[in-house]
This record gives sequence, structure tokens and C-alpha cells, in this order.
Amino acid sequence: MTTCTVEKPRYAVKTPYNLSPRIQWLRDYYFQGVQRAWNNEYTSWTTGAPWDFQYNELSFYIVPETYAFLQTFRSAFRQTARRVALHPDFWKWSLPERRAWFNREVMVNYLPKEILPGDLLAGARFNVQTSCCLNRQEARRRDQQIYGPDGARAAMLWFHNHGFGNAGATSGHLIPDYARVLREGWKSIHAELEQRYQALSPAEKRGKKGAQLRAMMTAATLPRDLAAAYAQECARLAERETAPLRRAELRQMADNLTRVPWEPAQTFWEAVQSLWLTHMLVMADENYPGPGDSFGRLDQYLYPYWQKSIQDGMDPEFGKEILKCFWIHCNTAYDGMIRTGGNQGITAGYGQLFTLSGMGPGGQDMSNDLTYVLLDVIDEMSPILEPKPNVRLHRNSPDKLLDRVVEMIASSQGSPFLLNFDERSMAGMLLEAKKAGVEPLIHENNVHDYAPVGCLENTMVGNDRSGTVDANLNLLKAVELALTGGYDLVPFTDPMTGKTDKPLRWGEETGDPTRFETWEQFWQAYAAQTRHIVRRIVELYEKSEAVRARFHPTPYVSCLVRGCAEKGLDITEGGAELNFVTIEAVTFATTVDSLLAVKYLVYDEKVCTMAELIQALKDNWVGHEILQARALHKAPKYGRDDDAADEMARRVMELWTEETWKYKTRSTNRQFRPGMLSWNYWVADSFILPASPDGRPRGKFLSNALCPSNGADINGPTANVNSVGKALGGKAEDGRGDWQDYFNLLPNGGSHTMTFNPSLLRDPEHRAKFKAFLRGYIENGGTALQINMIDADILRDAQKHPENYRHLLVRVTGYNAYFTTIGRELQNEIIARESHQMR
Amino acid sequence: MITGRILHLQRLSTEDGPGIRTTVFFKGCPLRCAWCHNPESISPQPQTQWFAVRCLGCNTCLEACPNGCLSRGQDGLLIDRARCEGCGKCADACPAGAIELLGKTIRVNELLAELLKDRAYYETSGGGVTLSGGEPTLQPDFAEALLRGLKEAGVSTALDTCGLCSRQTLDRLLPHTDLVLFDIKLLDPAAHRRFTGVSNEGILQNLAYLLDYIRRNRRPDLWIRTPLIPGATADDANLRAIGGYLAEHLDGLLSRWELCAFNNLCRDQYTRLGLTWDYAQTPLMTRAELEHCEQVARASGLRPDLVLATGATRAVEPLESDS
Repeated sequence: MTTCTVEKPRYAVKTPYNLSPRIQWLRDYYFQGVQRAWNNEYTSWTTGAPWDFQYNELSFYIVPETYAFLQTFRSAFRQTARRVALHPDFWKWSLPERRAWFNREVMVNYLPKEILPGDLLAGARFNVQTSCCLNRQEARRRDQQIYGPDGARAAMLWFHNHGFGNAGATSGHLIPDYARVLREGWKSIHAELEQRYQALSPAEKRGKKGAQLRAMMTAATLPRDLAAAYAQECARLAERETAPLRRAELRQMADNLTRVPWEPAQTFWEAVQSLWLTHMLVMADENYPGPGDSFGRLDQYLYPYWQKSIQDGMDPEFGKEILKCFWIHCNTAYDGMIRTGGNQGITAGYGQLFTLSGMGPGGQDMSNDLTYVLLDVIDEMSPILEPKPNVRLHRNSPDKLLDRVVEMIASSQGSPFLLNFDERSMAGMLLEAKKAGVEPLIHENNVHDYAPVGCLENTMVGNDRSGTVDANLNLLKAVELALTGGYDLVPFTDPMTGKTDKPLRWGEETGDPTRFETWEQFWQAYAAQTRHIVRRIVELYEKSEAVRARFHPTPYVSCLVRGCAEKGLDITEGGAELNFVTIEAVTFATTVDSLLAVKYLVYDEKVCTMAELIQALKDNWVGHEILQARALHKAPKYGRDDDAADEMARRVMELWTEETWKYKTRSTNRQFRPGMLSWNYWVADSFILPASPDGRPRGKFLSNALCPSNGADINGPTANVNSVGKALGGKAEDGRGDWQDYFNLLPNGGSHTMTFNPSLLRDPEHRAKFKAFLRGYIENGGTALQINMIDADILRDAQKHPENYRHLLVRVTGYNAYFTTIGRELQNEIIARESHQMR
Repeated sequence: MITGRILHLQRLSTEDGPGIRTTVFFKGCPLRCAWCHNPESISPQPQTQWFAVRCLGCNTCLEACPNGCLSRGQDGLLIDRARCEGCGKCADACPAGAIELLGKTIRVNELLAELLKDRAYYETSGGGVTLSGGEPTLQPDFAEALLRGLKEAGVSTALDTCGLCSRQTLDRLLPHTDLVLFDIKLLDPAAHRRFTGVSNEGILQNLAYLLDYIRRNRRPDLWIRTPLIPGATADDANLRAIGGYLAEHLDGLLSRWELCAFNNLCRDQYTRLGLTWDYAQTPLMTRAELEHCEQVARASGLRPDLVLATGATRAVEPLESDS
């Protein structure tokens, strides 16, 4: 080792800046994790009935990591549950009324009200596991539907074990009508419910509809009562406070809370307070800090309050201070299991997504002062996990916005936000409107109001539940079933019992593929199996959807989603105006590449027979390395801007999405729609699905969402982007797409991640080129993009696993080389170089 | 149909002219620069190269070679380069892509179709297509057809040249070229001959011809590029001389003078081609050295804002040892 002077790091890890002592303290305190005196970990509450339980496992059917613990969680929350003294009439009420009352009772009368030092917002304890409030008979029926031999749990396990994917009726993943709460206050929501209730006939009042509206009315008073309790606490603290400034703040907070969220917000501070309290109760209502409970277009609906308060003399820095408190509050969602998870209890992302900028009526750009303020807050607070920002871009996005976006990407080793692309996204939403027959609700004049939830899933706002991670389907299973005529390629062996399944045909009988004479015959078999696996996931989903609809109402959330009050239906029963369940396809590129490989190896080039290929897959490619190499390196692949390969991608996309549109849930009449999120399943399920014809052995990661297979995009980023756009349907040559000239077969959108070399952002000239690349993405790409930068860690991993980084280019002025093909010494030099920034 | 021989396409190229470009690397070069960063582009003939890290050791290639040029030695595949005709049959046969054929023949229309796939990015960035290499002017028919086709499609074009070609070739290419990237490596003719194998007289005459063309036509745009090679071009005297020359002769006709730092990424490329490289052990420049060159160039008489130094510099913190 030599000693040299150390230059400024080339890519310094992003650190927060411009934090006031108040925010610095709150942020530092948050990151103390379990060391904190205060936290927001789950508390559990019971009716005291012997059959009572809190944990609703349906929400976790999409999290295979938890399958082994479902019973443990249920028992643990039961055992630690504290008893709530019930209203004398409690058991006479309907289930939704019981839930609404119980939750209000816990939140208002049982949980402590606390304000952290210096905090400008009230509303702290929201991670709760409250009783499901079932009576004995309901609990028995519900458990039968879950635990019986044909129950939801067994079906879910079978489906997952056999490599199809997973599905379950999951909480969260919507954008409630927060804008209405700010504008009208809960008072108005309550009044509307009251009015609708009074309009019912006596028979209706006695029936289900009456019960639902009464439950929602009770729920609508929860934020009022909780705000009153917090107002009291603020007033109490103000009395004891000796510092005059803080005393004034606490008095103002008490004052705010006497108005909002019951009354319309009048100031920016009140608006953020109203939003937070309303939002945290959404998180509380589903007994799991709802993943993907999202804010929608924050810079749009908060803007009038920002403008007014600035006009009235609010210091913009103080406005940012309020927002930074909001940031901290969002992160306390992770306190749920703070003692069990490492890393501050962070076990998963909660995806409280908010959206900035984007298109308005007539294609105009909607960026405003608050957009840039919020970008500053993101920059000054990051790295921090919540809330998750998403910036919407479109053809008319101003240079000022793109400059700021690129500057933030350059300074943070990857984008601190997701980018969403309006034209492609809106084309998908308009396709959805046509397919589902909901044109009055989604049309050319309002589709710009869409916003993504969770990670990137596009929905409408305030009236839409699209169940965006509820069903996750491995498309690759259809290739496997086509290769076997409907059987598992390798029979499933239970790791607990060691028992191996008898070979049974699960899929369609599509015949012996070794007798197929043409590629088209194989394609037909694949198509039949695709139709089969789509039907199967629809059937699986129905089981948990029916249980949730009957036994797990969420009257509070229902108050915030248009349609529920009108129909007198809970959101879990399909009360929302827009009701979808999204099938998120996983393994897209692996599937496309596998089909391309079958076509290339067996039919076009006749490198091997079908029988040889099937044997190689059964042997996990062991002993067939030459054939595997041909599959990996000679067969065409999606992601290279190769029109023939991308046409295969589009054909696969069209087939499974068309099939998806054919189904609705029976219990709740929700329309299935297609998307491609694929969360982390592409990693875990790679150990379940056997070897695939694209050359992948079992255990090698599947492809992620819409992305080309790892390392397949050998023609660079623009080729990768062009392929993704084509797979989604591309553009109409005659200009008549679903939005302008754009098509998009995935209304939900699809996740697309790209990694870039940092040298692309090294100076203003190159940053301008990157900005132009993003504008090119608007034209040719997908719906959403996550940007990573190649860093020293990636290069070190490439040294260890060169096979995964075959095409990793190291680009330097005037020359570039495949990283894995250069000598070790040079590799080390490049790694050392990548750890620094040029300026 | 006109065909040409190219190495490969570089899409999202950000170093060969304005905006986002696709760079077409032509095969074959009339110079023999001692420091050449693209040794695979020197010979106009197709060549094969072998990547040890990708090789399965299956020996499929040995059987595929019609001339028996391949054998397996202690350190891997041996290519008898004297007998190899570059037919590419071994590369086609190799299941793992461990053998690559450098230099493929492609039709103009086929190449145009590929280049137009990134039209959206050219348009959003003010970019286009750059012909580079190797030396594009060595294939004038192909280069002319390509440039013409691009201009007809409305795509901006750049020609990256060492400057050594006939005037007739320049006359054919310049009408379809929006930007010329012209190399001046060394101003002293003897030094130029010593390091590149040819004198720079013809190159400077072509530059004068180009300048005259620009004066008459008010186009194309012109960038001068100088590689910064330690011990060869990267000395103060050479940079001052070039800068002075540019100030004297190119004033008002030049929009950029790029200094491109020495790069060692091609070291293993030489080994793969069975060539030795005088610069194999030369370290990258330090940031201070690069900045010094930039300062010298800026003080040489040319408008300082036209000077731009680019390229990788040496890491100064200690390398991590392998564990």
C-alpha cells in the first residue's frame, strides 16, 4: 500500500444539510431507533372475547418471507393485547360499526398523546393491531375460510410452492381524497354521510347499507376527537413551557388542532397538520401501517395554502420546517416492529409516495413554487426512507425542473426519487377506461390527475383502489407448463416433511412438446398455459378477497374514497368508484428470452431437439454447459432494440394483458388489470422456479419487472429504453394512440431500473446530455424509471461475479471496455477511481 | 449496395461531439500512433480476439476453423494470426461468445436503420451520428453514402478524422458533414513521423484546405482534438505550438480545442490481439498534470474558453488490496 494525499471524494455519500437544530434533533433522534425513549411500535388491543384476534394474515400473503410466521404473529399479538372496555351495546352492532367504534376508542381514549421536543405536528401513535371485532360466529366462519383444507392459506401456499407466484387481499395502496379533507374538513364528510343516511328508507336503515353509513359516521368523528385530545396536550405543554418561542408554537399547534382536520384548513401549517392526522389514521385503520398509502399530487393540493401563508408573511424556511416535521412523522411507520427488525426495525418500504409536477389540463406543466420547495426538502433531508418522492415528467416539463432533477441525481449516487412519465402512463389509464368501461371516470380531460401509489403504480386519486400488489404472477410458469404439457418440470419437495409431490397435471393439456413440428405450435401451447395461469391467480385471489370483503371492513378509509358513501359499501366490498385488482406480472424478460431461446435453439437454428432442451432444464443445465452457453449468448434477447426480439416481447405482453382484462372478482366485482411491479419476488422466486430455456439455472435471479434480463442490454441505455417502450406497445405510426401517439398495455405501469456510469454527470455539458436522455425517455421509454449509478461496490461485485457483469462497460473519454475482460490490476485502479468524484 | 467494414456502434455516446450521439467505429487507419487507444481499429482486415474469462474450454472453435489456425496452449487459445483470414467461423461457432470477430461488413441501409433508432435522443439533445474509427476517410464510398443517408433523414453528422486522406475524399464527405473533429497530435513534423509513422505535412495541408472550405461555405463546424500522451504530445512546447498555430490560422473558424487525457483501458486489448504496447506501464495522468496541460493550452494564444480537457485521471488514494 502506498500513502498518497487524499483528494476530495469523487462520489461522496449524500448527507443531509441545511437542517435547523430542531430538525437535526428530530432526525438524529429518529435514527437512534431502539435507543429512543419514545417510539411508535405496535400496541395490540382486544375486545376480551376468547376468540378475538388482531392480526389479519391476508395482508401478508404477498410477503412469502412471512409465511412461516403467520401463526406466530397471530398468537403474539393476541397474547400482548390489552383489553378495551366495550360499549354496552357493542355486540348488538354490525361488524363495521364495531370496528369503527373500537378503533376510535383505542386511538382517542387508550393511546397516549405525545409531542416530541420541537415538533410542529401532532399525531404520533398509529401503529396498532386492533381487534378484528368479530363475534364468535363470524370468527368461526372466517377461520374456516382461511384454515380449512380449501381455505385461503393452503391455496396460497400451494400456489407459491409450485412457482406460480402469490396473491392476497392486501391493505393500503391507494390515494385517499386528502384534498377534500383540506378543502372541506371532516365536518363536510360527516355531514354528507348523515344526509345520505337520513335519505334511506327505514328498512335500508335497519339493513346493511344503514349499518355501513353509521359505521362511517362514527369513523368520521375519530379525527375530530383525536385532534381535540392532541390540542389539549399541546395546551398543557404550552403552560409548562418556559421558552417563549416554543410556548407560542405549542399554543399555535393547539389552536390549529381545534380547527383541523374537522374544519377546512386556513393556513399551510393547518393544512399539513390536517393531512398528517388524516393520513396516520388511514395507516391505523388497516392494522398494518398500510403499505403504499400515498399522498398523490402534494405540490398541487397544498399549493393554495402555501401561497396564502407566504402572502400572510410566513417565512418560507418555516414552511419547510413544517414539511420536515412531516417527513419525520412519515418515517415512524417503521417503528412497527422496531425491536424485531434490524436497521431501525426497517423490514420493508412503506411506500408513502407523493408526486411532484406533471401535466395539467391541455398539456400544460403544473410545476409551481411549492414543487421546488419540496425538491429542496427532499434534497436537504435525504437520505431518508419516507415519504417516497416521485417526479412526473412530460414533453412540456420545463428545463428548470429537469435541471434540478439531474442535479439531484448527480449529487446522490442515484436518483433520490422515482421518475414517472406522463404520456405513456396516461395512455395506459385511458386504455383502462376503455377496457373497464369507466370512461366517465377516466377520460382525456381528467387523466392528467392520475398519480402513482406505493412504488410506481398508476391510479386515479381519491376514488380508486387498484389492489396494486395484490396478485403477483410468474409468467415464466407458463413456459414451464408448455414444456411439460401441464406438469411441474421438477416435482415440488416440501422442505419440512421431505415429501415429494406425485406428478399431477396442474396446467392445460397442451400435448407432448417433443412432437411439435413448428415454433407456432409451441407458441400455442404457451398461450394456452398463459390463459391457465391467469385464471389460476384470479381463483386464488378470490379466496382472500371474499374473506376480507365479509370480515375486515375499514370504515375510516371508506370515508376518504369517493363511491363508498354513495353506494353504502365499504371499500373492502368494492365501494370505490374505481375498483381494480392489479395482476403484477413477474419474470417478463426471463419469459420473453426463454421463448426466444426455444425458438432459436429448437426451431430456427436446430441447435438441439426439444427433448434435449427439456432434459437440460431438468438437469439444471449441469452436463449441458455448451447448450446453456448458446442459450445465454447466442439466442436473441429482449432489451437490445432488436425489432424481432422486441416483437416477441410485445406479443407476450399482449397475450397476458388481454387475458387479464377478462376477469372480475366474484365477491366484489373488481376488474383485474395488468401491471409490472415485481417487488422483490424476482430474487426469491428464482430459487423456486426451475432452470429456464434462456440459460438461467435455478437460483439465478429472474428478470425484474419490465427490465431486460440482467446483463442482456448489450447495446446500451438507449437500446434498453427503446425495447421497454416497444414491449409496452410503442407508438402509433398514424399518431392515433391512446394518448397522443402513445400506447401502453400496462395501465398500472411497470418498473424500470437503469444503472449509469457517473462520468455521464460529471460536468454541466454532460448533465445537459443526461437531461436530453430523460427527454428521449419521455418519447421512447416506459412509465417509470429508477436511476442508479455504477459505484465502486458494483465494480467489486463484478470482480467477484464476472458472469453477472459480462457486458458492464467502463466508459471513459474516448475509450470503453468490458470491465470483466480487463486485468485485475486495472480493475482495481478503476474501482479506486470510481470511488472519487472528478469535481 | 455499398458496404463498409466497421468495428461496432457506440450508442449514447457523449464524448464524440455535441449532444447524444451514436458513434460508428470504422476499421482501418493510415497512422500508426505509438499510443493508439483502439488497436483493433488499425488493421483494415477482420481480426479475431479471444476472451479468456468467457471461454468454456469446449474447443468447438478448433473444429470450426477452416484453416486450422486455432490451437489450445498452456495459457489458453492460440490464434495463428499469420494464417487467420478473419472469416469469423470460429466466432459464429463459439457457444459462449468468447471469440469476437473485429470488423464486420455491413450494408449502408442496414446501418442507417440501426442509427435511426436513436433519432429521438439526437433530437432532444442536439446530437447525431459521428463517424470515427479507425479512419472513416479510408472507406470514402461507404462514408459518403452513410453521411448522405443521415442528412437525408435529417440527422446531424460529425466526421472524426486524423486528417490524412485525399482532397477528393474531403470534397465528397464535407458537403454532408455538420461537424469535423480534426486531430492535431504534434506540430513538429519529425516528432509526428516518429510517433505516428507519418509526417504531419499532408494533415496540415488538409486542415488548410478544410479551413478554406469552411470560409467559403460557413460550415461545417470544427473541433480540434489533441491526445495528451505523456512523453509524446503532453509537453508544454507541443501544446504551446499547437495553440499558437490554432490562434494564427483557425481564429474564428474553430469552436473547441479538446485535450483528451491518456487512457490505459486498452492495455488488455493489445494482449488479446497479440501485440505489444509501449505504453502498457504508463500510468494515467494525475489531475494536477491534466490541469497543467489545460492551463498551458489556455495561455497559448487561442481564446481560453475554447480549450477543454477531458478524460480519466489517476486515483490518488491507495488501491484496496484484494482480499
